[in-house]
Amino acid sequence: MSEKIVITLVCERAADLNGVVDDSGNCSEVPGMKVIKFPCSGMIQPLMIEAALKGGAEGVIVCGCQIGDCYYREGNRMIRERLLGERPPTLKKATDRRRVLALWLAKPQRQRFISESKEFIASLAGLAAPEAK
Amino acid sequence: MQKIVDNHPLKTFNGLTLAIENAINAFMTSKYNPFYYHGALPQYYLWVLYLSGLLLFAYYIPTIDNAYNSRNLTNAWTSVDYITKSLPFGGVIRGIHRYAGDAMVITILLHALRVWFTDRYRQYRWLQWVSGIVLAIFVLFIGQTGFYLVWDDRSLLLTRMTAGAFEALPVIGPGLKTWFLNGDQVTNLTLSNFLFIHIGLSFFLLFGLWVHYLRMTRPVLTPPPAVNYILTAFVLICVFIWPLSSGNMADLNQQPTSFDVDWFFLWPYAMLSQMPVGVYWAVMLIGTGLITAIPWLMIPKQSAIETAEVVLNKCTGCSLCFKDCPYQAIEMVPAPAGSRFKLLATVKDFRCSGCGVCVGACAFDAIDLPDLPDAEVTSKIKALLEARG
Repeated sequence: MSEKIVITLVCERAADLNGVVDDSGNCSEVPGMKVIKFPCSGMIQPLMIEAALKGGAEGVIVCGCQIGDCYYREGNRMIRERLLGERPPTLKKATDRRRVLALWLAKPQRQRFISESKEFIASLAGLAAPEAK
Repeated sequence: MQKIVDNHPLKTFNGLTLAIENAINAFMTSKYNPFYYHGALPQYYLWVLYLSGLLLFAYYIPTIDNAYNSRNLTNAWTSVDYITKSLPFGGVIRGIHRYAGDAMVITILLHALRVWFTDRYRQYRWLQWVSGIVLAIFVLFIGQTGFYLVWDDRSLLLTRMTAGAFEALPVIGPGLKTWFLNGDQVTNLTLSNFLFIHIGLSFFLLFGLWVHYLRMTRPVLTPPPAVNYILTAFVLICVFIWPLSSGNMADLNQQPTSFDVDWFFLWPYAMLSQMPVGVYWAVMLIGTGLITAIPWLMIPKQSAIETAEVVLNKCTGCSLCFKDCPYQAIEMVPAPAGSRFKLLATVKDFRCSGCGVCVGACAFDAIDLPDLPDAEVTSKIKALLEARG
């Protein structure tokens, strides 16, 4: 059985993970999490989330800034609406939503990010194994 | 992508701003956090000013002596007195007009400080900064003309100070003074000119705001109603705590020598009274020039933006990136002959912020940031998953 991995797609201006994430994307506070940084959460494609789950990720965390505050004006609203299916291109309906967590956290909210993601990973343990392996 | 240099002082201000907003989010939620509508706050007060100004305009008489001697309303001062004391709720409307103006200055200042502290004023946003400075100057001047219109002794002193300051300017000075007073000296025509400037320039603000909103897709123009109620409540509280009154009626034969300074609008007059008029103009012009140049002065070596690039043979002309771009940096042009599609996306580099929202909007991998292509992200995700033990 391979190691369980949660992929985190995070805006580099949202919850500040600089101190806890190394260059290869490992988070020292949350084992089993791999972090990929973006200039803005608006750049995250639903396709990327689908690809991660298809590739066998246990879950995907999307983290942008507080809704209402985006350095690039609307990026976090955009990805939020895409996840909710309100703005094309949307996340496929067949996607297991229990495995996707969206967090909207400002730069100072690192602790909140860590506790929320730990809770999410714990909740994933209770789910049946993902179908596509 | 541009980042603030690590040891730059603004980085601390950015942290401070985010910390304050975070604290407000804790009890107001991000939906009602007024800081997230900082640009819309002065815009709301502008509507309040238009409406209350319309009501005042109905009763205001822009003369310094009796043109129409009905109801003993002989001039501007007595008409303002009538509005304040006799007209039902007239004093409240006048107070709203005054304090909404003060509130507008405060919210404009907050707006400017926030965009400065959070580094949202330069490069592809320079037009917003510069048009904002012009708008702020006009708001100040419109507010000052409002103080002349009351026509008490302070109005007379301010009028004379302004005329004197204009006259001291080289070349354009005498012309400016004649334009300002609508003649060579203070007459009935002067006050009708003030009223014209006050109202006319207020509508010029709408033109200025149009420029201010250029390149902004879906600008945030209105805060949620709940925030509007709070903004209105602030003004009403001020109206009832500090009701307004005028000074004595202006008398052209008197020379008033001192006045109460309103620190929102009349601080330039406080400066002018403390220094020779030449120094005053030098300080004002150089100061304005420096503030306008902040986007270029603050961070001398600004890294170039990695603008988005369209992959020409993949673009289907679906317009999703065009709709989602927050800076109107994408234009749909007719596709070249022989293409299977009608349209083709093109990027206007000078508007592009390099944020990548267009990448997120594209379901065909047809638009990319050169330093972080989406194919690279996807392969990185796959590599991370394959590297598992």
